[in-house]
Amino acid sequence: MRRTRVLGVAIMAALAAAALVVSMVFGSSHREAPRIMLDPSADNTDVYAFTAKDAPGSLTVVANWVPLEEPAGGPYFGKLDPRARYYVKIDNTGDGREDVAYRWKFRNKFRNPNSFLYAAPTVTSVNDPDINFVQTYDLYREEYNRKGERKSSKLIADNVPVAPDNVGPKTIPNYEPVWLGGIAPVKGGGKTFVGPSDDPFFVDLGAVFDGINIDKPGRPNIGLGNQGGGKDDVSSYNTHSFVLQVPESQVTRDGKSVKDMKSSNAVVGVWATTERQRIKVRRHHGEHHVKRHWVQVSRLGNPLINEVVIPIGKKDKFNRTSPADDLQNFGTFALNPEPARLLNALFNLGVKETNRTDIVQALLTGVPGLTQIGSNPAPADTLKLNLGVAPSATENRFGVLANDLAGFPNGRRLADDVTDIELRVIGGALLPANQGGKQLPLGDGVDRNDKPFRATFPYVATPTDGISGIVKRTEPAHAPVPQPPTP
Amino acid sequence: MRARRLFAVVLSFAVAVAVFSATRGDERAAAGPPSVGGLASDDLRPSADTDARIAALQRDVRAGRTAAAPALADAYLQKVRETGDASFYTRADTLLREALARNRFDADALVEAATLAAARHDFRGALALAQRARAAQPGTLAPLPILVDSLVELGRYGAAERALQRLVDLKPNLTAYARISYIRELYGDLPGAIDAIERAVSAGGPVPENVAYVQSLLGGLELARGRLGAARHAYDAALAAMPSYAPAAAGRARLAAAEGDLPDAIARWRRVVDRLPLPEYVIGLGETELAAGRRAAGLRDLELVRAQQKLLAGAGVNTDVELAIFEADHGSRARGVRLAHAAWSNAPSIRSADALGWALTRAGRPEAGLRWAHRALRLGTLDPSMRYHAGIAALAAGRTDEGRSQLRLAIAHGLAAQPLHLARAREALR
Repeated sequence: MRRTRVLGVAIMAALAAAALVVSMVFGSSHREAPRIMLDPSADNTDVYAFTAKDAPGSLTVVANWVPLEEPAGGPYFGKLDPRARYYVKIDNTGDGREDVAYRWKFRNKFRNPNSFLYAAPTVTSVNDPDINFVQTYDLYREEYNRKGERKSSKLIADNVPVAPDNVGPKTIPNYEPVWLGGIAPVKGGGKTFVGPSDDPFFVDLGAVFDGINIDKPGRPNIGLGNQGGGKDDVSSYNTHSFVLQVPESQVTRDGKSVKDMKSSNAVVGVWATTERQRIKVRRHHGEHHVKRHWVQVSRLGNPLINEVVIPIGKKDKFNRTSPADDLQNFGTFALNPEPARLLNALFNLGVKETNRTDIVQALLTGVPGLTQIGSNPAPADTLKLNLGVAPSATENRFGVLANDLAGFPNGRRLADDVTDIELRVIGGALLPANQGGKQLPLGDGVDRNDKPFRATFPYVATPTDGISGIVKRTEPAHAPVPQPPTP
Repeated sequence: MRARRLFAVVLSFAVAVAVFSATRGDERAAAGPPSVGGLASDDLRPSADTDARIAALQRDVRAGRTAAAPALADAYLQKVRETGDASFYTRADTLLREALARNRFDADALVEAATLAAARHDFRGALALAQRARAAQPGTLAPLPILVDSLVELGRYGAAERALQRLVDLKPNLTAYARISYIRELYGDLPGAIDAIERAVSAGGPVPENVAYVQSLLGGLELARGRLGAARHAYDAALAAMPSYAPAAAGRARLAAAEGDLPDAIARWRRVVDRLPLPEYVIGLGETELAAGRRAAGLRDLELVRAQQKLLAGAGVNTDVELAIFEADHGSRARGVRLAHAAWSNAPSIRSADALGWALTRAGRPEAGLRWAHRALRLGTLDPSMRYHAGIAALAAGRTDEGRSQLRLAIAHGLAAQPLHLARAREALR
């Protein structure tokens, strides 16, 4: 996961323009290769898991890869790596290990190998021969035993096209139906979609990462942000969304549908990972691979965990380890989160800095009766969703903080304002008043995505076409939002 | 006319250096009190191009957000890659020195400073800085790539391989695959090098410069294997990703030469040199002109190499290896030997050994030259220049069989891209 450092996104864009590569400038053979470890094609940016209003009885997952795609940067051949493994993983037993995993495997094809044109006018369908560069995928459903060994792998969708890039109105005059052509059914029920989308994440990076600078000049004394006016740094950037909708029975621990939110099979933990092959630096006798040659290079469960919990020096380790080992690897950072110290240093808020079992519970072990899997779950960074909670008729962006139990941290919907929620949770929103609980109206001033989400599959918005995008939209100011009711 | 245009380009660099010297210290004057850290140690905002990025980061640094200094230094290095204007190295240097004076354990600044040192071919300095970065932030992988690069250039191939194995074991990605390709190439494993670079291409993602970089490397490897069609495809893929990418454009010039179309090669070299008059490219142009019988133009263009090297030296870039070979081929042979000795003591790599061997051979000492050529080839490298240098040395030293077989190896691995040397090799084989 790479919303790291500067929430990754900002750094990624700047570096995308630049620093990934040091080319061979001043020596014919001295090779200055790419230095920076950024790896957009393997980079998990966000994971969402929810029960869609139009698909009760199914789990819907949106997992995004490839941060900050510049819509005006033109199409690119192969944003997803055919030599990498892309996973959405599900833990239904509470041990932090995958019991069910979905794996996407991509293939690249140039219809005309002598042309580097992405597509020629006029593209009218996802299979249009005018699309020169085609990426397709096979989707597998895998089952694992309690030790984490794979028991089975079944092909559940094959040769599905990735929706093409939104290159512009001349090439693809009517984009949406072409884009929706990327939807395909999966064996066992449900559907899959992979394609570019408007990045559903919204945040004022500058505010959050300039020392959590949420009481900006011009917005004085407003209780630390929370009346709009934030600048959405992600607006108009695209990403690649993997959207999967499968019947609950495909992912629950007993293989059955969920009766209600108290059912023992109701909660599943969801996260996404990417794997690449490690190889021997030098081949000996043509031998190429090493044992256990697939290496996890990225993972993501809860939003912003890499920013809120994991210190900079540990991010590489976070990305290659399993949620099952989160307690031993990172438990202390969750218990004593750095942002709590920062909030105090910056604003003197008196936020509780240590022994934050409330944060461990919200993010890692699950809220009892809502998102806890079983009776004794391992603390694991998975996005936990109670499939027995019905979708809300009216969604509140504060989710569980506002008594909207169908939102974050019970899973995560596209519109949940996780930046505000997590800032408030760090501020003590989940703690009783006598244990340092505080209801601080923290927020970054960006409340919603710039584009509306779709009511139907694949739920994310179509990608910006590069001509109409407004990068860094400013959220309109609004009256201060009253403190949402506490649960 | 052409030469005048080139001189104008060179002159503009000189002016840039001078202007910079007059204005340096901007950053120092701008550095305010350190800001309270946010969640991250540096901040880069999305910007369409490098100039905009530089301007934004300069504003940050001037506003006292000193955490942005390593990112600004990074943008300066990018500027050099795009323009060849090495005066930005000096600006990056100043920034990083200040950052490290504020906090000598600033891991980002240390990695950036290591990168700068390597770009200036100060590999011992780069290695030391990369090691400091590792110590400053144990467990992070960011210093490993530059650590590997430094070890390779210092001739410590075993240590480089071990560090790189650790990197790819923990984080297989484009950065690791590209370096594996290079190590395999140094050991003469071209199919293995191509396999690794294809993995890097596949991992390239939506970053045009990354794609252009690895596709250009693939083109070079295919050229060395004699698969000219595949080489062309790779170079064109690089240029499709990034139309102005000089290494790919230079690759197309070499390819044209390898196909025997010298006028096309010269035209392509000239376009590259007009935009980015780096010594490597100017030599490519001049030598191709000489091979095509355009002697006056070739000599005139080659004159520019020394002027360029002076500018680079002024910006702290050590070009001893390149200049030694240049002097041996086209200038003062004694000076070539001196430079090559300096290069070897600075960085005892197979590259330096090759330069020293060639300088000695050209200075009339082929036995000594051949001994150094053997050191240069100790890994089994198939690099056509190195094989050519070894072949000419062996012939001059009276070792006809070895000489002929080295020259044949050179020709089999892409010497045709250097038509001047191809002609000399063929003549020697006759």
